[in-house]
Amino acid sequence: MSYALGTTPVTLLSIRNLSKSYTGVPALKGASLEVVPGEIHALMGENGAGKSTLIKIIAGAVAPDRGTIEISGHPVSIDHPATATRLGLRFIHQELSVIPELSVAENLFLGRPYPRRLGFLADWSELNARARVALNALDITTIDPSIKMARLSTGDQMLVKIAAAFLDEGGEAAKLYVMDEPTAALTGEESERLFKVIIGLTARGRSVIYVSHRMDEVMRIAHRVTVLRDGETVATRNIAATSKAEIIELMTGRTIAEAYPARLSDPSPEPVLKVSNLTSARLKDISFELRAGEILGLSGLAGVGQSELLRLLMGDGKVVSGTIELKGKRLKRDEPAGRWAEGIAYVPRERRREGLLPRASVSDNTVLSHLKSLSRAGIFRNRRSELARATEFGARVKLKSVGPRQPVFQLSGGNQQKVVFARAVLGGPSVLLLDEPTRGVDVGAKYDIHALLRELAASGVGIILVSSDLPELIGMSDRIGTMLDGRLRGIADNANITQAALLSLAFGDNPAGMMSNISPQGA
Amino acid sequence: MARAIRRYGTLVGIIAVVLFFWISLPETFMTARNWLNISQQVSMLAVIAFTMTIVMVMGDFDLSVGSMASLAGIVAALAFKSGFPVPAALALALAVGLLGGLLNGVLVSYIGILPFVATLGTLTIFSGLAFLISDGKTIFGADIPASFSGFARGGIPLFETGGQMVSLPYLTLAALVVLFLVWVLLEHTVYGRRLYAIGGNAEAARLAGVRVRILRFSAFGLTGVGAAAGGLMYAARVASANPTQGSGLMLSAIAAVFLGMTMSEEGEPRVLATFFGVLILGVLDNGLTQMSVDSYIREILIGTIIVLAVASSSLSKLSQR
Repeated sequence: MSYALGTTPVTLLSIRNLSKSYTGVPALKGASLEVVPGEIHALMGENGAGKSTLIKIIAGAVAPDRGTIEISGHPVSIDHPATATRLGLRFIHQELSVIPELSVAENLFLGRPYPRRLGFLADWSELNARARVALNALDITTIDPSIKMARLSTGDQMLVKIAAAFLDEGGEAAKLYVMDEPTAALTGEESERLFKVIIGLTARGRSVIYVSHRMDEVMRIAHRVTVLRDGETVATRNIAATSKAEIIELMTGRTIAEAYPARLSDPSPEPVLKVSNLTSARLKDISFELRAGEILGLSGLAGVGQSELLRLLMGDGKVVSGTIELKGKRLKRDEPAGRWAEGIAYVPRERRREGLLPRASVSDNTVLSHLKSLSRAGIFRNRRSELARATEFGARVKLKSVGPRQPVFQLSGGNQQKVVFARAVLGGPSVLLLDEPTRGVDVGAKYDIHALLRELAASGVGIILVSSDLPELIGMSDRIGTMLDGRLRGIADNANITQAALLSLAFGDNPAGMMSNISPQGA
Repeated sequence: MARAIRRYGTLVGIIAVVLFFWISLPETFMTARNWLNISQQVSMLAVIAFTMTIVMVMGDFDLSVGSMASLAGIVAALAFKSGFPVPAALALALAVGLLGGLLNGVLVSYIGILPFVATLGTLTIFSGLAFLISDGKTIFGADIPASFSGFARGGIPLFETGGQMVSLPYLTLAALVVLFLVWVLLEHTVYGRRLYAIGGNAEAARLAGVRVRILRFSAFGLTGVGAAAGGLMYAARVASANPTQGSGLMLSAIAAVFLGMTMSEEGEPRVLATFFGVLILGVLDNGLTQMSVDSYIREILIGTIIVLAVASSSLSKLSQR
């Protein structure tokens, strides 16, 4: 994007030689970062590179061991989150703290006195009017301030939080927003609206530190990027003067030739999974076939039914009508336990909430779905074979851990996800269901996961890949289905599909010729 | 650091308590006879605490074990009274324990009531049933067969000292058998590992192929059987049954499991750690009784121990953030 910074911009935030160790293990080793007013500054690095620690220090949640922080040229000591707020720093996290049962306006003005009528009655119309003004200040015109927060999409909730943070707090106006993976849970369309608001912020002189694993977004909206690796600042580059390849190289310290690994073999014509007229409370009349060795991508806006479809295939949720056949055998109603036994494996969307036993070991997490097959006589656990298999499949997914006995909460996000993958792969499944498998996963781990998917497909596993990361869908899928309002609108071959075409399909258009085999009920 | 204090603090506490009583009661405390006596005194509590560990592994608990213990004792005594042979009466009482436990299981697992609320309700139901079928009276004397109460007085002779035989009480043996069974179940079977998985993250366990509902249901059933067994041991020991005699056991059993949790590495319930929890409570009770300390003060101590144990486990979770 084109932009011009002022000729001699005053540095807004200047961080020099920041170091921090946790019980002797260094998380930051002399990291530096400079942010000028009005810029979007991307902060990138693999999981464990030190981004989170750096942000926690700026937020006043963690005290640094060494190093200096200056704001507008004045040295500051951010010893408490309230200090950060007073200094004009605002933090937008992917997990939003909103109160869903209160209105948008109440969420905006949380913790401030409400406008009153007769001295004690809340003046709702005045409150809503002020909220309208606050939202309009950032050109957020599509959100009604009087509705409940719960009715907004995740993306719109984030916009409300940004607007709330834009209001003066503690006597100091917002100067710098720190956004940590803000688009992780957003659809393409919601992300677009977020970008518009972010760019609007910078037009009003605010700066943004933008943390993201999504290279395309960074290339599109950021002015500069600072890359961290192993707790140190590797480089700061102008986006206009760098490339994705260079950033990846800076992050990993190695060259990754291709963003996505190449297909190892073609899918077989044999269907492994056949879904016919599947209907539930949320899903309507879904039919498709998944071939052995095929990666079938599923796209669509958030919440149109992709996750529900995977859950339903996994035996979670009530099927109203329709059938699921695995290798020609009709599956009966059952819990996820029965599906695992049939050879369907699942990587759920929310790794921490739905995927892992955080305090349990790598081994216990890996073998969880296979305790019976690894046991003696189906009753007594066989600890030795559990550890052996966990080690074997940890290596298969290129897991980096101290050993199979390490608790998983100590691992980075990417390695936690690899544990979930090791579990899914261990039983030798014939179908693998993946819901956002690389969300919040660093570039290196993402590549490892993609390479694993290619290997599995080559060995005949049928894979359904739900992802809101369009480059990933296009880079990995053999065919891509698009869902809209609980229906499968059709499945397109991935020969020459584009991101733009996928997006317009998700919104309900059908660009000519794109959807070669629209299923009849979806048209 | 905090973790080490928490984990070894309990062990240091046990040693300190033992040393204190050893010094205060030099004649009587540190003798084989007294320790075997302690083991017999805590055996019913031990059985209930060990089986309570089964549901606490899943993050649940069962408040109804005390009144189930009373009810089981009453059921057996009434069965004796109406002429049932001893084994049949015991089987009937254990079956009542199983059914009561499974009722808890249905409420918690299939209907989705919080364990606290569900088992508080059944606590009252079981207690009311015990009063109802016994007419609120204690059943004792000729109604209780000698073979039943004799079991609780008997033991395996070990050695003679001062003209008296020192024996390993059958009740102690029964508690050790239950300890072994629960230990095998929790630590060495697929079933036990799945219960731990439910305690770690029930939703993740379910999606990973653990049949959470039936496991929770059955685990409550086992705790119910354990409560009934503890109640039978109690009735045998006092050779009578009354509808309130088990009511003190619930709180002590939960206290024992919590104490044990402070000693395990991950702050999880472990049945071998529960064993030490039971031991602490037994030693305190025995020593304080010998020193003629008021029983109300013992209650205050047990309550304090529960609060300290729970506080230390939630503090350790906070420090992990």
